[in-house]
Amino acid sequence: MKNKWIRIILAFGLVYAFSCEKDLLTHADYADYIFASLDEKGGSWKPILLTGGNQISIPTPKDVTSDDYKNELAALKTAMANLTSDQKKAVEYWTNNPVLRWNEIALELAAKYNIIPQPNADGTYTLPDPANPSKYPQFPFAHPPYTSRALAYLSVAQFDGLISAWHYKYTFNRKAPSDVDNSIVPAYAKTSLPAYPADGAVVATASRDILTAMFPLEKDYLAAKATEHMSSLTWAGVNVKSDIDAGATIGVEVAKVAMARARTDGMSKAQAPRPVSDSIKAAALKRFGWQWDNQETPVRPVGLAPLFGKVKMWNVPNVEIVRPGPPPAPGSAEFNTAAKELQDIAKKITPEQRKIANWWSDGLGTYTPPGHWNRYVKDLLIEYKFNPLRSARTFAYLNMAVMDAGVSCWDAKYYYHYPRPIQTIPGFKTILGTPNFPAYTSGHSTFSAAAAEVVAYVFPNEAQKARNWANEAAESRILGGIHYRFDAEVGITQGKNVAQYSLNRAKQDGAE
Amino acid sequence: MKNHFQYILVLAVLLSQLGLVYAQTPADDLMMKKREICLAASYETGSWDQYWEGTRLRENGNIGTFSRDIIMPMFAYGITDKINLLAGVPYISTDATGGQLVGAKGLQDMGIAVKAELFNRQVGPGKVSFLTTAGFSFPVSNYLSDYMPFSIGLKTREVTLRGILQYRFDNGIYARGAFAHLWRGQSKIERDYYYNNGSYYSEWMDVPNALNYHGAVGAWLLNNSLKLEANYMAVHCLTGDDIRIYNAPQPTNKMSFDQVGLFGQYFFKNIKAIQGLSILAYYSQVIDGRNMGKFQNMGAGVAYQFKL
Repeated sequence: MKNKWIRIILAFGLVYAFSCEKDLLTHADYADYIFASLDEKGGSWKPILLTGGNQISIPTPKDVTSDDYKNELAALKTAMANLTSDQKKAVEYWTNNPVLRWNEIALELAAKYNIIPQPNADGTYTLPDPANPSKYPQFPFAHPPYTSRALAYLSVAQFDGLISAWHYKYTFNRKAPSDVDNSIVPAYAKTSLPAYPADGAVVATASRDILTAMFPLEKDYLAAKATEHMSSLTWAGVNVKSDIDAGATIGVEVAKVAMARARTDGMSKAQAPRPVSDSIKAAALKRFGWQWDNQETPVRPVGLAPLFGKVKMWNVPNVEIVRPGPPPAPGSAEFNTAAKELQDIAKKITPEQRKIANWWSDGLGTYTPPGHWNRYVKDLLIEYKFNPLRSARTFAYLNMAVMDAGVSCWDAKYYYHYPRPIQTIPGFKTILGTPNFPAYTSGHSTFSAAAAEVVAYVFPNEAQKARNWANEAAESRILGGIHYRFDAEVGITQGKNVAQYSLNRAKQDGAE
Repeated sequence: MKNHFQYILVLAVLLSQLGLVYAQTPADDLMMKKREICLAASYETGSWDQYWEGTRLRENGNIGTFSRDIIMPMFAYGITDKINLLAGVPYISTDATGGQLVGAKGLQDMGIAVKAELFNRQVGPGKVSFLTTAGFSFPVSNYLSDYMPFSIGLKTREVTLRGILQYRFDNGIYARGAFAHLWRGQSKIERDYYYNNGSYYSEWMDVPNALNYHGAVGAWLLNNSLKLEANYMAVHCLTGDDIRIYNAPQPTNKMSFDQVGLFGQYFFKNIKAIQGLSILAYYSQVIDGRNMGKFQNMGAGVAYQFKL
């Protein structure tokens, strides 16, 4: 009797507890797909950093009738006939649009490294040291500006590399293995895209090298990923060895060009030393009569990347031309209205408001707001079945616009050095953590507005949705109690303005 | 880290350490007779100023001293002499002296358990009893689990199966041990990406399952009016990730703790007007942990038992 009771209760309970268990995705759930277009003229598009699709040279491929090619084809067939289950999984994972996978890997590394340094025992802070990346705090601290820049270089290198790949594909027109030997059944949807050089290999080595520079402690992990990716091109039956070698060359070379720019773009000076930081703060106090102060315990003496606003922009000629006007002075009527709004929200936040604040928070330990927008765009690229070249183009303009938005936002943040609500409103408490940089303008708003404009340009049918998302992301910071409404509203306008410079370039790159 | 704490506290610590009349809880040996009802309420306050980040004990100036208050109403009913039903739902509020994050408050999870006495027999100079408890709990408010350490619970369903073995000498001294397996479900959060030793694209977090151990020695004194007990309790998660350095905890963490405590309950047996009434008090201190606050808790309560 009692045993029966227990059994019934337990059985009911277990069913009840686990009836709605969800599968938890660790990467985007997509398979290879038929591209909406092949962009046969893609080799003539204007790259971002290269002079043209022919700047990087690769050897003229052997003809498909040559013995060398036949040997490579035989090796491919042997490999395909003997795939292990891990190799089959790799083929499924990488798909025929690996640009998406490498973007996803970048986001994961951003989340992994988006960890703020803790105070030392004596209350001081040590910053990550790129010359000694494994020493705590590890390099990098992948905060939003850092991540926006890593994604920009990644996407630009992929884009330029693929323009180069497309140039040679349609210059040499070497057929895909399955068009040479119709006994070969490729793992991915068949296309008429020429196989030499392998676009997948371009993406693999370019991504590996950029991400290794950005996340040096991941060198081995990234090398293993790239090796598996390149091998999977043969396992999938889409590229022979010489296709892959030529693609890998382009990827390596384009990454060098991108990293040459990165080394001199000013990022290494963005985390200014204390005296510089103090002088920036003093200048704001003198100019405006206010200053932001970090409110943490112990106080962080220097804000996050005070000189990120000086980092070289991609498409805006001068950061000052996109700098917004000043915010209302603390204590002014306009300020008081904004402060009261925050207090009113905090008093009685609704479940919907709380969710919006958390949904867009993208704080420490996550892929940051730039990462969030990359994730959305990745989903759209899959939905719209973009080919790798057009995917890379979308990410390139997205991430240039987002990084430029970040540079412009950081310029405003440290030029105006405006205090956060927890500094100006006595006793104010929030549901989101206040970041270690000034309030005006809102980074989330600026990043998101810029991203939404690129989405609207590339996917006109998604324009309204993307702009609504950006507005919601901006609103989320007000609901979270960490930004005034004017930070968000001006940030939205600023992000839109900044994005226009990238879009003007996109409209002239030959892809339309 | 707190989160876990609360959750487990509710189902294991509170229900087990708080004796209802006749110490009627999922983790002790005592049973109510058929058609007896027990109503109880308790208040607990706890705090910590250090927590384990993984296995490293640390402080955090932006938390300072963390505090949590719990009000716990409970109900128990004797379905038969050998099968009892228990239920309770805590109201919890949290706060911290450091930093600018606002505390959380609200009703947490409804816990319901059925306890059955499977064996009770005189062996030598005392009685051996074996009991089992099957419990489940579910969130009853819209609290957010992904707001640690302030969140008031793990916001997931949990099923518990527990075995309890006790030996009680005829002179009132007893020793008891209990072992439970806690199966947890998933917790819905308010974002669809998080990092748990890798990317997760989901609005759900897996909450690790856990094992729960109890040990107690105590005595019934003053003609069975006063129960005094020293106890040990532990919850060990079976899986989960560690809090990353200086990062916030999250419900996926491997949250474990060991604590020791004292418990006392006095029954007003000899005063006819308030027969069935008892008062109780307890204290506990976490002595080891992982991804948890080093809590010190104090609680007091009152219980009233009557027959329908």
